[in-house]
Amino acid sequence: MIILEDVSFRYEPEGIDALRGVSLTIHEGEHIALVGPNGCGKTTLIRHLNALLLPASGTVNVDGLDTRDRNHHARIRSLVGMVFQNPDNQIVGMTVEEDVAFGPENLRLPTAEIQRRVAEALARTGIADLAGRNIENLSGGEKRLVAIAGVLAMRPRYIALDEPTAFLDPEAADRIGTLIAKLHAEGVGIIHITHNMAEAALTQRIVVLHEGRIYLDGKPSEVFEKAQALQTIGLRLPPLTALMVRLRESGIAVRCGICNPEEAAEYLIALIRRKGD
Amino acid sequence: MYHAGSYAFGQSFIHRLDPRVKLAAVVGLSVLLLWIAEPLSLFLGAALLVLARLGGIKIKTVAEAVRPLLFFILLIFAVHLLFHESGDAVIRLPYVGIPLSVSGAQKAFFVTWRFVSLLVAALLLTTTTPPSHLIAAVKWFLRPLKKLRLPVDDIAVMLTLALRLLPVLLREKERAEMAQKARGGPSDGVGFTGRLKIFMSLTLSVLLGVFRRADDLAAAMEARNYRRGGRSSFVELSMKSSDEIALLVIFTLTLFLLVINSRFG
Repeated sequence: MIILEDVSFRYEPEGIDALRGVSLTIHEGEHIALVGPNGCGKTTLIRHLNALLLPASGTVNVDGLDTRDRNHHARIRSLVGMVFQNPDNQIVGMTVEEDVAFGPENLRLPTAEIQRRVAEALARTGIADLAGRNIENLSGGEKRLVAIAGVLAMRPRYIALDEPTAFLDPEAADRIGTLIAKLHAEGVGIIHITHNMAEAALTQRIVVLHEGRIYLDGKPSEVFEKAQALQTIGLRLPPLTALMVRLRESGIAVRCGICNPEEAAEYLIALIRRKGD
Repeated sequence: MYHAGSYAFGQSFIHRLDPRVKLAAVVGLSVLLLWIAEPLSLFLGAALLVLARLGGIKIKTVAEAVRPLLFFILLIFAVHLLFHESGDAVIRLPYVGIPLSVSGAQKAFFVTWRFVSLLVAALLLTTTTPPSHLIAAVKWFLRPLKKLRLPVDDIAVMLTLALRLLPVLLREKERAEMAQKARGGPSDGVGFTGRLKIFMSLTLSVLLGVFRRADDLAAAMEARNYRRGGRSSFVELSMKSSDEIALLVIFTLTLFLLVINSRFG
């Protein structure tokens, strides 16, 4: 479990308060979408999860390890993997397998164990066929998968992803989305920054950040029920919620928090039939 | 995107050799190439070319590697041709009166030949050896320096990063160039001052990008548990009988060339 208690953080010398008293508990195996307008503190928050940033006040505890204690950093960084927004700034190796091996090499594992972990991570991400390929010859989507494989090779309990589908074509974004769902099904906790509300709707829980504070926190259905609050801070609604809001505005009493297209279809059919009767 | 000189996957016997053997052989043969008499350098250079072919390196690849250095190569040739002091001048260049001689032409040819041969030797190493294996070999040779507290593991990571980021920086430069042109910035053919201005503004924007990237990369490395000091390695170096045979052949060739060389005085 990752527990953030009253965490505040300020970027110096700019004097920007990025986080202001954030308290949040992330359970093992949970899939959380972190959403919010640009500059609301999402990236700053996930960088606190593996001790890349330390809180100015408050505490972050990862499976019982306080991030303020530097002796815990190596263990914390093995527990919480971090996938950065731009894979070009994360990938260190020249070839796919070399890059995936970077983390285990830092853990000073024996060569045979590193090779085992690299093969396992490449298989889990479905890019075993790219093992010997030069990073420069990969597409943007493939580079994202390499970045995720590099983190998986450390066998983390949680993975924090910073906009993993940004700037990708729909097919590559789907591939990343499927992989994230698969990792979650395998029991890995996922904390996932996104601007895509349809993507956020597929998670178990949405945390909305605004001006460094937690603005909303709940199941997608609960968060989207507060559509107006989301619109107030400039967030776009997922298409289904937008449709329900439109219906509500026209005087039809509907629920806005339905995230699943199947469920929405059945709900609307039932509603229309009731009206027809 | 393949650049001449970068690793090309292959299954030749040179590809399969231990990187330490290849590194030692290339360094050794390069020193020998500069040391031995001119006619022998012709033989050694030709031998390197044959090895390059056996290693699957195409003549086109050699030509691509030579192309960016063509001006420099021609300059070396011209300097040796024009400024070689000898009494056997065949003709004098009109207006400047510089004498051209057969021995000058010979000298110019051999110096250029040695230079191109060195380039082939370097290609032989880099195109048949994955960078990680090359770095593992460098790390192995530097290992004794650990006793002098030299941060050998950190040097290896620095080399990896330099190799990895070079194409990224070139891409960044191309992007900055295109962005300038797209906004009606100066293009080619603007004279020396204009070119200097383009160079300065490009350098500035690439440098800013590099610093931003370096920050992110440092954070990403830290996030993957990178700390200064010892690391283990994904690459396992092991000498096989083919490596021992290769070492023996190179040693014999070196000895043979040194003996013949001594006859040249």
